Amino acid sequence: MPSTYGLIDGNSFYCSAERAFAPVLRGAAVVVLSNNDGCAIARTAEAKALGIKMGDPWHLIRERRELRDVRWFSSNYPLYGDMSRRVYQVLAERLPRVEPYSIDEMFLDLDVPGDLRRLCQELREVVRRIAKIPTCVGWGPTKTIAKLANGIAKDHPELDGLCDLTDPLVRAGWYERLGIGGVWGIGRRTEEKLAQLGIRSIADFLALDPRMARDLLTVVGGRVQEELRGVSCLPLQLMAAPRKGLAVTRSFGRPVLTWRDMREAVAAYAARAAEKLRAEGMEACHMQVFLHTNPHDGSTWYSAQRSARIEPTSDTLALIGEAMRLLPPLWRDGFAYAKAGIMLTDLVPARQQARMFQTRDPVRSAKTMAALDAVNERFGRGTLRPLATGITRSWGTRQQKLSQRYTTRIEEIMRATAL
Amino acid sequence: MGQQEPPGGYTGAETTGFVSPAGDSLEGPIDLEVALDLRRPNRYLVRVSGDALREHGILSEDILVTDAAIPPRVGAVAIVMLHGDVVVARLALKDGTWWLQSGRRGRHSVAVPEDAEIWGVATALVRDRM
Repeated sequence: MPSTYGLIDGNSFYCSAERAFAPVLRGAAVVVLSNNDGCAIARTAEAKALGIKMGDPWHLIRERRELRDVRWFSSNYPLYGDMSRRVYQVLAERLPRVEPYSIDEMFLDLDVPGDLRRLCQELREVVRRIAKIPTCVGWGPTKTIAKLANGIAKDHPELDGLCDLTDPLVRAGWYERLGIGGVWGIGRRTEEKLAQLGIRSIADFLALDPRMARDLLTVVGGRVQEELRGVSCLPLQLMAAPRKGLAVTRSFGRPVLTWRDMREAVAAYAARAAEKLRAEGMEACHMQVFLHTNPHDGSTWYSAQRSARIEPTSDTLALIGEAMRLLPPLWRDGFAYAKAGIMLTDLVPARQQARMFQTRDPVRSAKTMAALDAVNERFGRGTLRPLATGITRSWGTRQQKLSQRYTTRIEEIMRATAL
Repeated sequence: MGQQEPPGGYTGAETTGFVSPAGDSLEGPIDLEVALDLRRPNRYLVRVSGDALREHGILSEDILVTDAAIPPRVGAVAIVMLHGDVVVARLALKDGTWWLQSGRRGRHSVAVPEDAEIWGVATALVRDRM
């Protein structure tokens, strides 16, 4: 187990990825919107200074006069994913081990000789120069402390993006000042529960008898306490745990009113789920389909779901077929549907030998799907797709302000003017 | 995704009559992603707009394979973020300051100000049409 863990985190990661290729955005207030351009999910410091909050709905704030210079973007996940890959590669080449915890945060094994502060500063610089993302780094003896240190580095610009919580005395100082709610693994509910007992700061929480902490907050609470004391309980995870299930669920770009649109959308989700399964070499044995109206807009609430065991498969057409068997009984005319989805569970490794009582030819299916995937890989997702998944896709995601896919599409790469 | 299957599944080895003498020696088509080292995190592709660098063999619509890890050096063709624009020019060094040499005759060089970024250095050129 490493003696020191680090956490590096991209500052306003999505906005920084946009800025990397558009210098006109540097120094400007930039906001990236969620799927369907719903609400703000990433903001630069300039946007935060204008009072834009995480989760602010775009349709309510875009017309405000003081926000007229804000640059809005739909979320461009092909770009953000590729920039995250670059950040990871830069770090993995320089450190013994790196855990990609989320698209914009990586845990680091900092069990390396030399001056850690200097190393972390160098990591920030090289990530900034090569992957074009400004970052903060925090470090300490456990992952929970590293995450806390990272948060401190982010909230205190005077620390120049670095925070070292290795020294127990330094930690004790911060523990007095920081609320327990900001600690990794402590949710809102837990925070409220602790507040009722007068436990507000991290120091208060550490003063709690360990047995009581466990009784109150289960083993997770006990672990958080240990980790905050500097006893590492959470090792680096170098690989994502094998999936138990896979979901494709989306809010529609606009409410779906017709059976035809719903059928298309669910077929398209089934096709996407099949692609994801094949990319991981898995097959699904169980499928659930659901749909519902918008719970927030005051319209009549309707929600329904149905599930069934299915013959193990990752075949696009087979999964669309299963989805189309499950969907019809869920449909009721007269509702404005906001969301639908497909969940696949009981995943098993794919095999090409015939199973008993199998009704499909696995070799033939594998060949067809390999051809389908090859075309879509080469010419872009959705180039070749079953007609059932729709042509116009009026229900599709709303992305009015997409930037270019600067690093994944040859037609959309950055342009430079010859001087 | 692995190698793409060629049409009919034939790669030069799967002969039906005589055994292919090339069977153990097949290497597949040349992969430009490998040749140009495009998987490295420091590699980006940038398209050139305008013919100002024609004398240096760089034409409008050419693609520059750009490396963000290579430090700037005199004579290098660099991508620079300058006053909100993305520009490409040759680098010169005068009195410890980087300058962008205009490719056009009679046009002055431009000093790279403090707030500009030398974003990357071109290492190869791809012309996808002739």
